[in-house]
Amino acid sequence: MASLISCPHCGARPKEEFTIKGAVLSRPAADAGHQAWTDYVYLRDNPRGTHREYWHHTSGCRRWLVVTRDTVSHEVGFCQDAAAAKLAEVRP
Amino acid sequence: MTSYRLATGGLVNRAAPLAFSFDGKPMAGLEGDTLASALLANGQMLVGRSFKYHRPRGILTAGASEPNALVTIGRRERTEPNTRATVQELYEGLEARSQNRWPSLDFDVGALNGLLSPFLGAGFYYKTFMWPAPLWEKLYEPFIRRAAGLGKATHEADPDSYEKSWAHCDLLVVGAGPAGLAAALTAGRAGARVILVDEGSMPGGSLLFDTAMIDGMTASDFAREASAELQSMPNVRLMTRTTAFGWYDGNVFGAVERVQKHACDPASHLPVERLWRIVAKQALLATGAEERPLVFGGNDRPGVMMASAMRAYLNRYGVAPGKATAIFTCNDSGYRLARDLEAAGIEVTAIVDSRPTAPPGYRGRPRVIANAVVCQTKGNKSVSAIEVLHDGRSETIAVDALAMAGGFSPIIHLACHRGSRPFWSEENAAFLAPQDLKDLRIAGAAAATVGIAACIQEGSAQAAAILSELGISCRPAALPNVEAEEESRPAKPLWSIPGIKGKAFVDFQNDVHLKDIGLAVREGYGHVELAKRYTTSGMATDQGKLSNVNAIGLLAEARGVSPAEIGTTTFRPFYTPVSFGALTGAHSGYHFQPVRKSPLHDWAAKNGAIFVETGLWYRSAWFPRGGEKTWRESVDREVVNVRQNVGLCDVSTLGKIEIFGADAAEFLNRVYCNAFLKLPVGKARYGLMLREDGFIYDDGTTSRLGEGHFFMTTTTAYAAGVMNHLEFCAQALWPELDVRLASATDQWAQMAIAGPKARLVLEKIVDDDISSAAFPFLAAKEVSLCGGKLHARFFRISFSGELAYELAVPAGYAESIADILMNAGAEHGLQPYGTEALGVLRIEKGHVTHSEINGTVIPDDLGFGKMVSATKADFIGKVMLEREGLKAADRLRLVGVRPLDPTASFKTGSHILEKNAAATLENDQGYVTSSAFSPHIGCTIGLALVKRGPERLGEEVVVWNGLKSEYAPAILCDPIFVDPTNERLHV
Amino acid sequence: MSDFRITLRPALGSAPRPGSRGLSITAMPEGHVVQVLGRPHAPDLFGVLERATGAAHRSVRAAGPGQWFIVGDAPLSRDEFAALSTALQPHATAVDQSHGRVRIRVEGTIVERMLAKGTAVDLDPGAFPVGTSAMTLLGHVSVHLTRIEIAAFEVMVLRGFAESLWEDLVRMSVEFA
Ligand SMILES: [Zn+2]
Repeated sequence: MASLISCPHCGARPKEEFTIKGAVLSRPAADAGHQAWTDYVYLRDNPRGTHREYWHHTSGCRRWLVVTRDTVSHEVGFCQDAAAAKLAEVRP
Repeated sequence: MTSYRLATGGLVNRAAPLAFSFDGKPMAGLEGDTLASALLANGQMLVGRSFKYHRPRGILTAGASEPNALVTIGRRERTEPNTRATVQELYEGLEARSQNRWPSLDFDVGALNGLLSPFLGAGFYYKTFMWPAPLWEKLYEPFIRRAAGLGKATHEADPDSYEKSWAHCDLLVVGAGPAGLAAALTAGRAGARVILVDEGSMPGGSLLFDTAMIDGMTASDFAREASAELQSMPNVRLMTRTTAFGWYDGNVFGAVERVQKHACDPASHLPVERLWRIVAKQALLATGAEERPLVFGGNDRPGVMMASAMRAYLNRYGVAPGKATAIFTCNDSGYRLARDLEAAGIEVTAIVDSRPTAPPGYRGRPRVIANAVVCQTKGNKSVSAIEVLHDGRSETIAVDALAMAGGFSPIIHLACHRGSRPFWSEENAAFLAPQDLKDLRIAGAAAATVGIAACIQEGSAQAAAILSELGISCRPAALPNVEAEEESRPAKPLWSIPGIKGKAFVDFQNDVHLKDIGLAVREGYGHVELAKRYTTSGMATDQGKLSNVNAIGLLAEARGVSPAEIGTTTFRPFYTPVSFGALTGAHSGYHFQPVRKSPLHDWAAKNGAIFVETGLWYRSAWFPRGGEKTWRESVDREVVNVRQNVGLCDVSTLGKIEIFGADAAEFLNRVYCNAFLKLPVGKARYGLMLREDGFIYDDGTTSRLGEGHFFMTTTTAYAAGVMNHLEFCAQALWPELDVRLASATDQWAQMAIAGPKARLVLEKIVDDDISSAAFPFLAAKEVSLCGGKLHARFFRISFSGELAYELAVPAGYAESIADILMNAGAEHGLQPYGTEALGVLRIEKGHVTHSEINGTVIPDDLGFGKMVSATKADFIGKVMLEREGLKAADRLRLVGVRPLDPTASFKTGSHILEKNAAATLENDQGYVTSSAFSPHIGCTIGLALVKRGPERLGEEVVVWNGLKSEYAPAILCDPIFVDPTNERLHV
Repeated sequence: MSDFRITLRPALGSAPRPGSRGLSITAMPEGHVVQVLGRPHAPDLFGVLERATGAAHRSVRAAGPGQWFIVGDAPLSRDEFAALSTALQPHATAVDQSHGRVRIRVEGTIVERMLAKGTAVDLDPGAFPVGTSAMTLLGHVSVHLTRIEIAAFEVMVLRGFAESLWEDLVRMSVEFA
């Protein structure tokens, strides 16, 4: 019926405004080897509890977000801009 | 004896009679009646037949939990089955019909099921109809569905409209009884944004039928004054006829407002129902409590009613249940009813109290039989006597109505919708809402608080606590003075009753009786979730509002444990049924999805286009001319005209993306599998975009308009997806790149002008030199039109294989420019062509679309292997494209195919077999991805993905349509049927 | 010299206006809409935009991180657009969307209640004061919503959806007619 995602740019918005991509994984380097790439492209965990996912605020600011969501309670926690998350990861 | 309307009393408008009918019989009610109160006022006790045993049933409750009085109302396209008579407001001309009876309510053949009842117990369906399995679908299920039916839905389209809306508030109060009104007043007066919803037609809840005096006013007047004050506050929204049906994450509540369900002729400017999503910072449940039935023999006989419901009919609707009423109670609720009946001058024959003594303060006249139970009722289609067990003997007492009061269950459904479980309170003999819920509190009878004064006090206090959490200051309200209210003692629940004869119903709607519960326990289905499914108790449309707690109590007793140990089944939305209409809202029929129109839509329409829906777009498919009888004639003409003269096609629906930034070229180099870094300014290039798994995602041309400025086109179907994908790459994968994206699909109208005479036409309006020398194949630049009047983007690209250009102009000028082109091109035979001709032209040229790029192909499969950059360090899909399986020799690869017999044809989706091979999946060689009649070749042609395709050119094969068992001998050929050396592109 | 006459066709030129008392829905002039794309991670450009736009007949609307729309009722000449574009360099790129976006003005005392039928954004003046913008879903259509006066909103939509959105707005307002 609802599920509100707190977009860091737009505030709480319903899930209809978003497109969900799936787990946040970091893209391997081109020379990381086939195993790393197979994991990245095909293998997914199915966690019970906290899950970090890419959500796109398609009908809003059009930013990709990293949304932390509880798969049991549906509680939506920390939402961060994906670019900020990636840059923070690169330069810790 | 039957129920009847009293001469005075109630909140009904005696000056406003309403005519209605039940099973065709004309009846009269009053404004303010529900259908149920009006039926009772007309002495109609029998209103339906039960689900399984077809037992006569009457009206049990006065509210949303009603399991028996389900009727079909309305006529023709407004027929609405399974309407609860207890919540349906009466309107002039209402037509109601009873359900689940044949041939009539009074004489029902299905009642014979009652005689078969030894065979129809719990688990009956599972045990009886399991085998032989094939009979289930053919025989058993249709039979059971007919016999055990609810009402029948109409097959006609719903003529009414529905809509949805959002609402926001600091505090949502659910329920406008004493606690809810007090909470809303407290918060409203403090200036908070408050929404108060109530399922009833007027606010007040139990105040509407309570006889207590509040601040010298009747309870209903108190409710009226409180709601008038609330309505005068701009920060408060009071919504009646609105059921909050679910609590969802984010503290969002779903609610359905019955805007016009009480109207005979719904006004067309209003929806009949409105679905609300209410975002509440905090919420307060003041939903009241549900009175529990008692489980004794014949407790379902018409004339047996909940005690609180009887009070509602008496005090709110001025309807007496009968002339001689008995009350069976295990708590003080029965005495309140007795007092009200006495006050109305209705004889109370006996109060049967399971407790050892009557309440100490009770001074009423009726006979009290303490330490007693009603073990069964007698009567035909309504109750005529009860059998009372007391002092070790049985006494039969003649009555015409019986009230039952089994204690109260707080209505806590919403509080449990997000996974928390209620807990059993021995002290209150009830399940209470889970504690410490986030942003949700409970007040009043829903929190097992008893008495109007206490409920008002609690509602106000809870609202004040919520306001302080929200940082809104409020002054404590002066609490009203409540008179004539009796103290209530907590009641000990009464689960199983001794001496029962006949069926004692637990779940009235699903016809589950006491013995079914015992059977479930004996057969090992004593767990509450198993018992529910085994007996179907609580699985009817009323979701067990009356029955669940009794079923749990009886299970507990049978297993010798406390109800706490049994627990409840899971509460899920919706609290009461919600119509599909409300859930759909306004988006049905033509408005199911938005329509997206090309800026050349009206131009195409005035040129006679036939449109086709492509996603949300309406695209011009072909342009019939006088004398053309079939679409093929038009399409063939359009194709030939492009090959011989020149055509104009609207390609505005292609996705267009502006890409800017210092790293734009590097970015494109990473998202396309082919090289883009060195694309010169002023040039267009065909690009292939892969997915990370190596398969092709989309294709299109991208032009470099400046050093840091590219203009990308995508296919129509993937325009939105590609934009999302590029944004993902730019933001989530490579945020360090300076790349900026803007969707320009709607800014530019784009026209393809294709055919050997294209340049002759365009030269007349393009100011720049567009000769082949100055503007060769794959040139791209901004040009001026009509003597500098307008600037446009101009590309020399071709989908048809002819000399062709694409001209992009600002959308508002599209129609004007198209008109000018048509004018200028008239002497050269310029004609519009649609997507059908576009398709034929591209198949003839062997160009692929998403028919070929179907998620299973890699560049090499389509002959693009050499395009894939071997030198780029990285691009999307690079690594996975190297997988062994994607290099296998027998991959399906693109070829052309045409029938050996030019008069034969085949369809897209047909499979390719070797010449003499049997038609089996093992022999499958591939399939046809696109096919069309080619006017150029003179027969059907196709593109196909075939094992080792390009190595097999010239091989005779069979095209097999397995759906129709058609076989067409054919030959594999080069997929480029027109101008394989590309001479025409460069003229 | 060419003697062809080029004419402009407004996206909502033929759309009828609803005759409701409580609300008015009006197609705004197809003047200019310039999308501003800030360089990633650039500092806040609002000051730059204010300087670049200058004149009072234009307005700047926030449109997500690093993006804005500059809108106005008058069309922008090629030279004006070039000047604006230059003024924004090197911090941001200007993209002409004057034809790609259509603006509709919705006005009335109960305008919030009407728009609440489409958007989940809380439009209470306390939460969404004059000058605030939001990109949101209105029914099934993505829009850019700005409160331009206490009781008036500008709804900006992709041109291709303009007619469809217009029909939706009319339907949403019927109740108040
Ligand atoms: Zn956002």
